[in-house]
Amino acid sequence: MHFGAGLSRKLDDLGAQGDWPSHPELLDWLAAEFMESGWDIKRAIKTIVMSATYQQTSVASKELMEKDPYNVWLARQGRFRLDAELVRDNALSVSGLLSTKIGGASAKPYQPPGYWAFLNFPMREWENGKGEDLYRRGLYTHWQRQYLHPSLLAFDAPPREECTADRVRSNTPLQSLVLLNDTTYVEAARVLAERAIKVSTSDDARLDWIFKQSLSRSVTPPEKAILLPLLARHRDEFTKDAAAAEELSKQGAKPADGTIPKAELAAWTSISRAVLNLHAFVVRN
Amino acid sequence: MSSFEDKLAYLTRRSFLGRSSQGLGMLALGSLMSDRAVGATDEKWRGVVQPLHHTPKAKRVIWLYMAGGMTHLETWDPKPKLAEMDGKPMPESITKGQQIAQLQGNSKLMCLGPQHPFKKWGKSGLEFSTLFPQIGEKAADDICIIRSMHTEAINHDPAHTFMNTGTMIAGRPSAGAWTLYGLGSEAEDLPGFVVLVSTGKFGQAQPIAARQWHSGFLPSKFQGVQFRSKGDAVLYVNSPGGVTVDRQRDIVNATRELNLLENNVVDDPEIATRIAQYEMAFRMQSSVPDLMDLSKEPEKTFEMYGTKGGDGSFAANCLLARRLAERGVRFIQLYHRDWDHHGVVKDHSAGTAAEVDKGVAALITDLKDRGLFEDTLIVFGTEFGRTPMAQGNGRDHHLAGFSMWLAGGGIKGGMSYGNTDDLGYFAVENKVHVNDLHATILNQLGIDHKKLTYKFQGRDFRLTDVGGEVLKPILA
Repeated sequence: MHFGAGLSRKLDDLGAQGDWPSHPELLDWLAAEFMESGWDIKRAIKTIVMSATYQQTSVASKELMEKDPYNVWLARQGRFRLDAELVRDNALSVSGLLSTKIGGASAKPYQPPGYWAFLNFPMREWENGKGEDLYRRGLYTHWQRQYLHPSLLAFDAPPREECTADRVRSNTPLQSLVLLNDTTYVEAARVLAERAIKVSTSDDARLDWIFKQSLSRSVTPPEKAILLPLLARHRDEFTKDAAAAEELSKQGAKPADGTIPKAELAAWTSISRAVLNLHAFVVRN
Repeated sequence: MSSFEDKLAYLTRRSFLGRSSQGLGMLALGSLMSDRAVGATDEKWRGVVQPLHHTPKAKRVIWLYMAGGMTHLETWDPKPKLAEMDGKPMPESITKGQQIAQLQGNSKLMCLGPQHPFKKWGKSGLEFSTLFPQIGEKAADDICIIRSMHTEAINHDPAHTFMNTGTMIAGRPSAGAWTLYGLGSEAEDLPGFVVLVSTGKFGQAQPIAARQWHSGFLPSKFQGVQFRSKGDAVLYVNSPGGVTVDRQRDIVNATRELNLLENNVVDDPEIATRIAQYEMAFRMQSSVPDLMDLSKEPEKTFEMYGTKGGDGSFAANCLLARRLAERGVRFIQLYHRDWDHHGVVKDHSAGTAAEVDKGVAALITDLKDRGLFEDTLIVFGTEFGRTPMAQGNGRDHHLAGFSMWLAGGGIKGGMSYGNTDDLGYFAVENKVHVNDLHATILNQLGIDHKKLTYKFQGRDFRLTDVGGEVLKPILA
């Protein structure tokens, strides 16, 4: 959670076939601290994230990469893909859609119709939630073991049939399809675009805001050189193809902001989509 | 060295040190690959079994899965003795203490004779039911019927899980996932493990859980991908409304260029993989519709399969199976959810058999015409059989003996293997366990089932766990 791997890399086997911890004394100290604090999880996390080790960059020199390709010795931060639930939470969060409500019944975010067609006794059809329910954290997503929500499934969420201490992290085309085409992400991109448009009238400032919001950093000149021509082209295309702009603005349950011209919104939705599909967006740096 | 080779070297060393201290020495490559990151690194997965353990007979598997529990007594296992016993009590010596499902506690267990005649088909004279005239006329000499299957689960879901993963405990990888993990796929722009599901008119349409093609503890890239006849053929394969192909291409191009810029700073091999996966995803957005588009198939294809396609029928899925095989897909599984015949087994088995007979015969003929039959292993099976005892005018679930057949892919045709007893209750001669079936499937693909392993929760797992014997007598 904090580095991408534990001090002992095997989480599901603490025996002889597991992995000896890289820093046994540190592990002992952390364990004792945790115990003596009265099993205070928040405190344990705070201790870790306030450490100098946690606050390092994940960018490593060539030399460091050669000496420690798997970052066993933690001379840098880890880079790893976010867990399934957090990939979605992150998109909802940067767009401002995320509900921070705690607890309550399971939620049902968008799921393609007919996905449950081969369940029976009784036949069921998933009904997308309404309002805030569509934007709850992934942790609250209804968990159908026989047919796990497909976007969670694509990002290696376990179906909870075996106890899974350690999730695998794969990188597949199905993940790309989810991020490109799942209504959740298209809507998040559109809402992010709406907010960017309201921030400023300048394209540069809007773009910079999207980057800061999504990646916590400013856009660089080479990145601008890629995205501003795309913006111009799509602005032009969507102006000519008003029906397409209209259709794109209708993705998701949240109505589009009527004060924004549809072509402008569609063009900025393209920019937001490109950013929400970046490797850096789904990876913890 | 690439980072993938790096990782391998690292794992090799670690695994060697770990194992040699226990006197086990080096195991198969599979066991070295159990680091969770490894599954993610190679953009085109080529499989852990390199080189293959032996010369393969099959390159791909098409598994025609008769879901619901296909009666063996009306289909592949002739039982004249049971016909004589029709309406008479089932000997208690047979049923005493045996696990049965809905007939449990029924004090009068009566025999129900086979409801359809059998005949000898083809040059080989292989005997099976008259419910399959097309298979009989076109493929009797190609198939090897196994009449001595048995399983350990009496209800559908655990029995499916057992048939697919070799254990009733849910959460283990399916045979297709193991195969993909071991061999990778030849398909360039389609998933390597594809699942198609159809529903008929005569069974009770038992549910099928996605766990049946799940990758269990293997990385999710090895799970089966379900192709659907309604809605998006593959989930999320269509661009959002208002986004044309060109506009989608623009987005994918922009992310690629931005990712490359990012890579200059962070040098992360996962970025190259991510870029490749976006390219693959974009290609799938056209290759999947292309696969499903039957407009270029000649009229005679539709006549042969008895469908125009696009209707979600089993026959349409057979036609898609051939198209998937042509495109290099490694493991293709077709579920037909129509075999749960608790009542009216006579009419319902006839109805369901008619739903599958023509499609299966067409598929075999079509594969032969295209030179694909020899290296395609076809599995025609079910999760369990049905009782020789009547449940009203139907049959209950039955685990002690049932039938499947194999064809193509180095299997001897026109023969049967194993037998149940005279009443079709117990598999008695050359009994075949699900582990044996899996061992044989892997064997035909060039894999030694004992060497394809993956470490999870502290031990090495394999598809056949601690069992499995290759069925040598049925190999050509």
